[in-house]
Amino acid sequence: MRLWGRIGSGEVKVTRGLGLAGYGIPKAAPVVVAWKEITEALRDRRTIINTIVLPVVLIPLAMAIPILMVSPKTTPPVVELVLLDDGGAAGRLASAISDQGGMSLVVRTGRVNTSAEILGGRADLVVVIPEGFTANLTSGLTASVDYYYDPFSMKSSTAISMVSAAVSRVEEEIVSERLRPLNLSLDYVHPLVEREFQVTSTGREVSPEVVVGSMMLPMMVGVIAITGAGTFALDMIAGERERKTIEALLTAPVGRLSILAGKYLAMTFFSLLAGLSTIMASILGLILMAEEFSAGLQVTGGVGPSGIGQAAAAAAAARLIPEGVNPALVLAGVVVAMILAGLTGNAVIVMTSSFAKTFKEAQQYLGATMGVLVLPMVAVPYLPPPMMGPLRLAPVTSIAMLVRDLLVDPGNVAALVESFASSVIYLMLLLIVSAKLFGRESVIFG
Amino acid sequence: MPAAVATVGLTKAFGDVVAVDGVSFEVEEGSVFGFLGPNGAGKTTTLRMIYGVLRPDSGDAVVMGRSVTRDPRGVREVIGVMPEDTGLYPRLTAEENLIYFGKLRGMEESELRERVRDLLTRLSLWEKRFTLADRLSKGMRAKLTFARAVLHEPPVLLLDEPTSGVDVMSAREIRGMMREHAEAGKTVVLSTHNMWEVQKLCEAVAVINRGKVVYRGGVEDLERLTGLREFEEIFVRLVRGEITA
Repeated sequence: MRLWGRIGSGEVKVTRGLGLAGYGIPKAAPVVVAWKEITEALRDRRTIINTIVLPVVLIPLAMAIPILMVSPKTTPPVVELVLLDDGGAAGRLASAISDQGGMSLVVRTGRVNTSAEILGGRADLVVVIPEGFTANLTSGLTASVDYYYDPFSMKSSTAISMVSAAVSRVEEEIVSERLRPLNLSLDYVHPLVEREFQVTSTGREVSPEVVVGSMMLPMMVGVIAITGAGTFALDMIAGERERKTIEALLTAPVGRLSILAGKYLAMTFFSLLAGLSTIMASILGLILMAEEFSAGLQVTGGVGPSGIGQAAAAAAAARLIPEGVNPALVLAGVVVAMILAGLTGNAVIVMTSSFAKTFKEAQQYLGATMGVLVLPMVAVPYLPPPMMGPLRLAPVTSIAMLVRDLLVDPGNVAALVESFASSVIYLMLLLIVSAKLFGRESVIFG
Repeated sequence: MPAAVATVGLTKAFGDVVAVDGVSFEVEEGSVFGFLGPNGAGKTTTLRMIYGVLRPDSGDAVVMGRSVTRDPRGVREVIGVMPEDTGLYPRLTAEENLIYFGKLRGMEESELRERVRDLLTRLSLWEKRFTLADRLSKGMRAKLTFARAVLHEPPVLLLDEPTSGVDVMSAREIRGMMREHAEAGKTVVLSTHNMWEVQKLCEAVAVINRGKVVYRGGVEDLERLTGLREFEEIFVRLVRGEITA
């Protein structure tokens, strides 16, 4: 079904399809109102592009492009290896670095201007094996390997990770060789072993992916669902008043509550559309990131600077669902939470729009209101465990807690019921207040 | 003939400003009734109280036996309204604007299709049925708004300046259909500044000034009473208080 078309005169025509769809819809007033709101909103190309299309396209790109830029798979870093020592140990290290792979290696035997190489963009990392390197190692002393790099370049960091992995292997071999005549093993120089044991309410170990997921998803569900339909919701309430269409609408023999119910139906549709499309786009972005990073981690042997480590953890969020948890349950929970968040946000928008005379004024109110709504959701992952209980009873935050509980502790039915019930109670209160405000004389006629 | 519309002491204030002050008049069933007054006199506020989007502070309006204060939904079932602003949805097509209101009024699909086709054809809008409302000319928008008001064939039409700023051809089509509506035994309450239109269409009028009715009665009675043939002159004198009736 085409939404748009043009005829010779340049006049916009709309397909018969939508008109006929209007004839076929049931006569129930909320359905009729929702049909009209969705039809109008889908024709508002600018809003659709800004709210739905751009996030879907830009989020994966925004997530993947920086990773692609530093990924050793797509653009290997250029490493200049400067050998100022021609001894055997130096050659051994050079071979190890060369065998590491994943980088574009240039070997030089004379001195180079390291600053010029880095700042001139000819190398991402200059590794210098200084004079006396072999002699020092042969004498049982320490020898240095010098790195010259750009601290602002992610590719420099990646290159250091790669070279460092090779240096660590050679170092371990040298230590082993030094300990062998003394009949000692590597354990002699690594006397302490760190061991970690996770303590979770389910008693089950969770992967880093789940940890990242439990931090990201509740926030995303809430924020996107609350803000996603914002522009549409504003248009359905403040826009209707500004365009003075509400007066004619209220002359129809339909209750104001039915009209509002129809508008909520349409708003919830757009909340879900915005929420699901953004989450799908984010997951797509994460998958792209994960692919690139798994390649990077293979090359570096799993060792990397902190920036890379964080990004790798984010990449792992593509696998959000904990082991032993039914994905259908999580999906259903996410959709329920999105509907709750969408309706809650939209009820607040209806309320704030009721105090605005124009769309622009409503937009200004909305900015402040959304900040207040979204802030607690953003805070959820960072708050200490003792605060989690009260958060399940806090307005709006309870919705983020519902999603978090689904991922972190799905067996805790009491917690799920608590956060769900409090979310529903707050929603009912907001819906009642918004219904009281909608259709008031002072609201309609300013 | 029973009254299709009767207002009794309708009063509405906005803060300290009394916009409508005890307005009472009756409109005979099957007639075209002119509701006249200068800008700001209280015409639109009175009409809004009759069609139920403003609640009177006191008084009542009864439409086809239904009280707007006790049964506002019942009143909305028997009226068709053309408000001061068209209230057309700009991103719906001409046809969709009618479908929306037809559906909200519970019209059956086949009846709605037939009525939409008939009205758009008669108002020369059929070729524009797939055009978005905000792409229509002012005259076309006025005709579409009129079509929306008569879509469900209501016994009472409440029209607030239906031909204001509309081109001659469109205004003529709207007036023609207004007349047809009345000839079919239905009632039209017409608020207008066009005195020629009043003389052509209306059998009776109420003139309102500063929220109060200054005249109610037949158009011919007024001409006979004043001895004037130009209705505009009669209107001006009524508003200035030079004629009392």
